[in-house]
Amino acid sequence: MIGRIGAIALNAFREAVRDRVLYNLVLFVLLLTAAAIFIGDLSGGQERKIIVDLGLSAMLLFGVFISIFVGVGLVYKEIERRTIYAIFSKPIGRGEFIIGKYLGLCLTLLVNVLVMGAGVSLALIYVSRGFDPLAISIWPAVLLIYVELMILTGVALLFSSFSSPALSALLTFFVFIIGHFSADLKGLATTMGSTAARWLFRSLYYLLPNLANLSYITPAAHGKLPPPGYVLTATIYSVMYIVVILAAATLIFRRRNFK
Amino acid sequence: MKERKLTKNEIGLLLTVIIGLVGIVGLSMWIDAHRPPADSPVEEDRLYVNAALVDRLALGFNGLVADWYWMRSLQYVGRKILGLSEKIQIDSLTPLNLKLLAPLLDAATSLDPQFMEPYQYAAVVLPTIDVDEAIRITKKGIASNPDSWRLYQHLGYIYWQQKDFKAASEAYATGAKLPGVPAWMEAMKGRMASEGGSRDTAREIYRRMYEEAGDEQVKEMARRRLLQVDAMDERDALLRLMETYKLKMGRCPSKWRELENVLRALRVKVDASGAPLDPAGTAYLLVKDECDVKVDWRSEVPVK
Repeated sequence: MIGRIGAIALNAFREAVRDRVLYNLVLFVLLLTAAAIFIGDLSGGQERKIIVDLGLSAMLLFGVFISIFVGVGLVYKEIERRTIYAIFSKPIGRGEFIIGKYLGLCLTLLVNVLVMGAGVSLALIYVSRGFDPLAISIWPAVLLIYVELMILTGVALLFSSFSSPALSALLTFFVFIIGHFSADLKGLATTMGSTAARWLFRSLYYLLPNLANLSYITPAAHGKLPPPGYVLTATIYSVMYIVVILAAATLIFRRRNFK
Repeated sequence: MKERKLTKNEIGLLLTVIIGLVGIVGLSMWIDAHRPPADSPVEEDRLYVNAALVDRLALGFNGLVADWYWMRSLQYVGRKILGLSEKIQIDSLTPLNLKLLAPLLDAATSLDPQFMEPYQYAAVVLPTIDVDEAIRITKKGIASNPDSWRLYQHLGYIYWQQKDFKAASEAYATGAKLPGVPAWMEAMKGRMASEGGSRDTAREIYRRMYEEAGDEQVKEMARRRLLQVDAMDERDALLRLMETYKLKMGRCPSKWRELENVLRALRVKVDASGAPLDPAGTAYLLVKDECDVKVDWRSEVPVK
């Protein structure tokens, strides 16, 4: 089973590379280079902080776009091109197909995030004219960004397992936005007058992914490291969430009729 | 490979692109030239931001948006300074009507409460514009960063500028209790309580600010204020010399040459005309009708 999932994942990765998804790295490098050279004049001596903020934010933003726009097409494209019949004529389960596609895009995002992280570290070394501790201390935040992208990819795959790419992209983007408003959802759950509304917001708070837990860019720009326990708990939470999403996606996909 | 010639239609399209681009550039230049000046209320309203709202809408990009607001603050002040004909210090910007500076700095610090530079900027630049906002933003910073002694230094500086030496002393005293704080914070507490209005206190404040400041504008302001404090002492000494001369000669000196020997004996730096030099190396002006000494407006030493 692992071999079959691996083959699908590798194929999804190759397809993403063929689709020039990794070209966004060129744009990222240009952005960072320009920031490293020009930001010093505008920032009042805060170029190191701004490079981290800019680099990690761009990493998250580019990653979100890849997760959404590539993620929603993972299943849809196979159905549209009718290649799904060829795939399922082989001894491959629908769950294996979903997990393989998911891992393939995660691998693409991993390459993306690693190259971008290295770019930010190099830009920091360039502006500091030597070793900069920030070049190392940003990596836990990079890990949390990657975990956030993994959740979003799962969400995109879930929506794309039963709806059109455009709607899936829109819904995934809403989840990204609401995921960062989770503190407000919790606030509404405690302050609303009606019991039904309180329950609704409390349910939304617990059911939707709490992406604010994974947001550590701003402290990272000040050289702050998240406590290891926090990173571990946030990662376990995310893995559990991903397992639930993929299970739901597989369930829906298994019941789908392609005729 | 032989290149195909452009067809008429293609030439037409190419011309459309070129003419269109030229037109766009020309129109952009016209719009820029006719845009209302930055001081207009419309421009100010367009820049207005609510810190809490921005914080909610930042979607995890808080740090980046805070950086944007920080740079926006610097540009906002810098643009207005550039539009002014006279020299001005960043700690006395009242004439510039910087009504958006407080909201911009408030937004930057709400989005990234650990971002220290905007707090310092608020402490240095804001008091002459809106002292209540300067104090509020600094106290907000203290609430978010209770271990940062520099914020207490900023708060003490704001109160000192307002001549509220008791509050300044309290701010330095609270900051002095924090771990890792330099010893001069404790000394400043006592000095502020006993001689808050003295030049030595001012000298000490600006010296510490010069040493601690990360922002070049703040550093430069502190350097010039240090020159100013030194120039005040020198002016007092020169006025005493002139008074002695007046008692002896029955009149004020009409030119510096008459005091040159005394100045040289006192090892005061003088220029070729015998005029004493201020700490920035520019000659002091002798106002003989008023028997007074003034700093030359061309000097680096701030007049105000």
